[in-house]
Amino acid sequence: MKRIPLAYWFLLPAAVSIILFYVLPVILTFVFSFTSMASDTGIYGNHYVYSKNAIRALEKSTLNRDIFKKIIERKYVFDSESLKIISQSKIEKKTQTEIEETLPGTVYSTEKALFEALDKLKNKPRSFRDKKIISRATIRSLNGEEFIEISEMRVAFEKLQIEVGEEDFDLITEVTNTSWHWTTKNYREVFSNPDSWRIFKNTGLYVTLTLGLFNVGCALIIALLTFYMSLGQSKFFRSLWLIPRISPSVLYVLLWRDLMDHSGFISYVMGYFGVAPTNWMGEFPWVTIIVINGFVGASMGMIIFSSAMQAIPKSLLYAASVDGAYMWQQIRRIILPQIRWPILFIASYQTLSLLTSFEYIQLSTDGGPARDTEVWALHAFHTALSNYWGNLRYGFGATLSVVLVVIGIIASITYLKLFKFQVLLQEPPIEN
Amino acid sequence: MKIILKKFSKNFGQVEVIKDMDLEIESGEMVALLGPSGCGKTTTLFAICGIHNITSGQILFGDRVINNVPTQERNVGVVFQNYALYPHLTIYENIAFPLRIRKMEKSEIDQLVQEYSEMVGISNLLSRRPMHLSGGQQQRVALVRALIRKPNVLLMDEPLANLDAALRLRMRSEIRRIQQETGITAILVTHDQVEAMSMSDRIAIMNDGKIQQISTPTEMYSDPKNTFVAGFIGNPPISFYNGVLQKNYFVGTAMKFELSEATLSNGIQEEQKLEIGVRPEYVHPNFGDEVEGKILFIEPQGRETLYDIELDDGQVIRSIQMGSQQYQMGERIQWGMDHKNILVFDENGENIFSKLYGTSPKL
Amino acid sequence: MEKHNSNRISTIILFVLSLPLFILYFFFFLDVFTVPSTDSIWPESFTLVHWRFLTETLSGKPSIWITTLNTLIFSGCVVAIVLVLSSTAGYALSRLKMPYRSQLLGTLLLLHSFPSVSLLIAIFIILQMIGLYDSLVGVIIIKASLELPFGIWIMKGFYDTVPWEIEMSGVQDGASRFTVWYKLILPQIYPGLAALSIFSFISSWGEYVLPFVLAPSAEQQTLSVYLAGLLSETTAVDYGLLKAVGLFYMLPVMIFYIFTHEKLMNIYGGGGGSKG
Repeated sequence: MKRIPLAYWFLLPAAVSIILFYVLPVILTFVFSFTSMASDTGIYGNHYVYSKNAIRALEKSTLNRDIFKKIIERKYVFDSESLKIISQSKIEKKTQTEIEETLPGTVYSTEKALFEALDKLKNKPRSFRDKKIISRATIRSLNGEEFIEISEMRVAFEKLQIEVGEEDFDLITEVTNTSWHWTTKNYREVFSNPDSWRIFKNTGLYVTLTLGLFNVGCALIIALLTFYMSLGQSKFFRSLWLIPRISPSVLYVLLWRDLMDHSGFISYVMGYFGVAPTNWMGEFPWVTIIVINGFVGASMGMIIFSSAMQAIPKSLLYAASVDGAYMWQQIRRIILPQIRWPILFIASYQTLSLLTSFEYIQLSTDGGPARDTEVWALHAFHTALSNYWGNLRYGFGATLSVVLVVIGIIASITYLKLFKFQVLLQEPPIEN
Repeated sequence: MKIILKKFSKNFGQVEVIKDMDLEIESGEMVALLGPSGCGKTTTLFAICGIHNITSGQILFGDRVINNVPTQERNVGVVFQNYALYPHLTIYENIAFPLRIRKMEKSEIDQLVQEYSEMVGISNLLSRRPMHLSGGQQQRVALVRALIRKPNVLLMDEPLANLDAALRLRMRSEIRRIQQETGITAILVTHDQVEAMSMSDRIAIMNDGKIQQISTPTEMYSDPKNTFVAGFIGNPPISFYNGVLQKNYFVGTAMKFELSEATLSNGIQEEQKLEIGVRPEYVHPNFGDEVEGKILFIEPQGRETLYDIELDDGQVIRSIQMGSQQYQMGERIQWGMDHKNILVFDENGENIFSKLYGTSPKL
Repeated sequence: MEKHNSNRISTIILFVLSLPLFILYFFFFLDVFTVPSTDSIWPESFTLVHWRFLTETLSGKPSIWITTLNTLIFSGCVVAIVLVLSSTAGYALSRLKMPYRSQLLGTLLLLHSFPSVSLLIAIFIILQMIGLYDSLVGVIIIKASLELPFGIWIMKGFYDTVPWEIEMSGVQDGASRFTVWYKLILPQIYPGLAALSIFSFISSWGEYVLPFVLAPSAEQQTLSVYLAGLLSETTAVDYGLLKAVGLFYMLPVMIFYIFTHEKLMNIYGGGGGSKG
């Protein structure tokens, strides 16, 4: 027997969890985007329900009118089920016995006909109440009925003596089927919905501004300023800017909410200028989401840029000053050109994170007011996982995510080619 | 342009790196700052070009005090040890950088870059980037970049340290040639005595933040001011031996010989502690018999052979002789020294016998 | 290059830029222990009243201790899984010969920069399908799996720095590759293991979206969901209480941060940040 190499044992657990819970979701996002899955369809049920909607749809359909009538009709059937209910009721025993002997298998299309048949019995029911009990026990209708299997529905049709051709039966099953089905409607909706365009523009604005002002802009300024500072000072500022990133997101947003609230610091300071206490977050939702995200996002660029600048040999800057370049010229002509790859890396990497993350927006403005700050990722989240109007549309949410996933895949491949192509693919020298 | 350092001191925090240094460099002169690593020579260079501030004293270019003139305005050309070429710029852009910063006309820049790159023979490399150049080529680019703005002073920080031996030999003469052609005042920082001696007009030898001696290379060799200079200059190095003066005789535990008139006339006291220094070429079988011991180690060098002789008290005297190996390891010998060419130092290491006369050894 | 003037200007600019952070965190610590004043930003007096949540259960909320326990279990398990699986897989990718090694590394890198948040909806549906929805186990597995590509990449980097000679002499001495890994190589990368544990602890301790979406019920709540619940209540928000809960919540992270912020700087610098 060949021994399984150690490498497989070492790789297997990680590979299994990554494939199941990372790669599979990527694929399934595409799969789900072609379904009508939502909270009212459930995610696996194959149920057939004669709901009001289904009946209405059947009425408008090409279904044979007679069959349609039979479907919506009520019927009174003496089958084993109704006889069982009758036998357990308080109706006189002799009446019960007579019904069991004479009526099984009979079907009446109206209550009147049922009552007439009952009246003809020798031991006819003594009161109207008894008749009503029988009526209730025997009444059968497809209206409101729910079937889990198609075969159950066939049995019911037989019992009700409805004869349906295969074509009509298929039509009926299709209309009454409530479970999700395959569809491309989601994609058409993404493109036709006027909301999409607005949210798309929001996303663009949000990403551009946050990236430009903070994740790259502010990060670069901090990195440059600390670069020309003493070690102690620069360490202090860099550690300070790292705090938002390690703070739990909920807490971090909580601090901002307090700062911007009626009773918060900004209202207090603005009070000096005669401005009444305001909820600044509601007043300036755009500033809010950009600033909140920006103060977290700046730290990564700051660290990357700083270490890239540290890597520039000091003598280059000495040479530049000797050559006559002042601080600003050194920055522009020596430092910035030499850290252009890190800048490009941060810009593209953070574009991706900003596009897909919605945590801080959800916690602060939640896309409001009036969906003003709703961005694409948050829109997908709201559509599929959390909204106030109840129906969570998983399929449509997945479709919205597909957009992000596709961008993510393309961007990741691009980075791979652009930045990490020098991956050390050295073969291991020990050969087993 | 003349460069003057007056009582120049430099501290890094509490650490005193340079203390009261005086140095005058004549216009058009090339001076080497020579010393072991950590002696403060690079610090001095960086103070002259303004990368470091000075703690006290004055630095003058000509008669202008430039203590507070920012680096950018000092107009010095510097060749850094690792050349410090800007990796993101082409060679042309590297050389043109100081001119661009000064907002010179483009056509003028073109012309200057052409002219200067031809001077060192790199005009065919102008469109490349530094990383595609060999060490020697980078060296030349750095030199040209330093020279192109016609600086007051050219400063070079170990310019040959990163080159291989053959190239180093060529660049030594080339740098010297360019310096002499342009007539620029230059300072060369190096730890390599051969480099210092072969390239400069004068050497300032430094130790512990102080200049030990400033003189021409020849003088430095034949008339070292103290044991540090004597020991630092000369390869193979000088041998030292301790003893006292007794009745015109130098007396050590395993050696005794009569000192020359010239030495004695310097007023040495009887019983004074002395240290003699003898360069290996003045220790020879034909000179006498005071060096008595056994051969500890032999280093054949082809043209010459180097012998380490262990005297009976364990001290070692080195001798170099022309020709191939004549003696065996462990062999007991009785050699002598050329008494005229012995350096004598007092107990503080100061030279009290003037110099070597360089009389040809009796071979 | 000593520039005293420009240095002072830089410090001032940086200070102004950082002002919001100073204010945010200053009032964080201030408000937790003080009674707010109605007409001033400065508090009236010292108090511990905001810490009542430690002893009494807030109305409509699970006990803070159960929630803390949940958070500890969540973070602890995630750290453990990530650590074990990354250190084995990282070793395999760094040192062991296997087919498709370069393709595996490429995929890993791809996932490393892939924005995993966008998979949330698919993950939600998958967990429902396999019956792990609304359970701590489900969130733990998901969080750990999403952290793995990063963890493996970091560990691979640490393994790459261990000299091959150690391994070769180990194999020469007759040890199996497993023994070599366990006895000789793992001790070399303790700093890496420490760095990865700190990083994944901070990341999972602060995780909000996954537990919020995948395990929302009260019995499974983590501190992030608990605090977010308090924050989203429609009645006037009691910031003193919330910040006290927040301080309680952030305490472990803060302790880690104080001792390891320089190391953290390096990990985030390694391309770790998955947040915006």
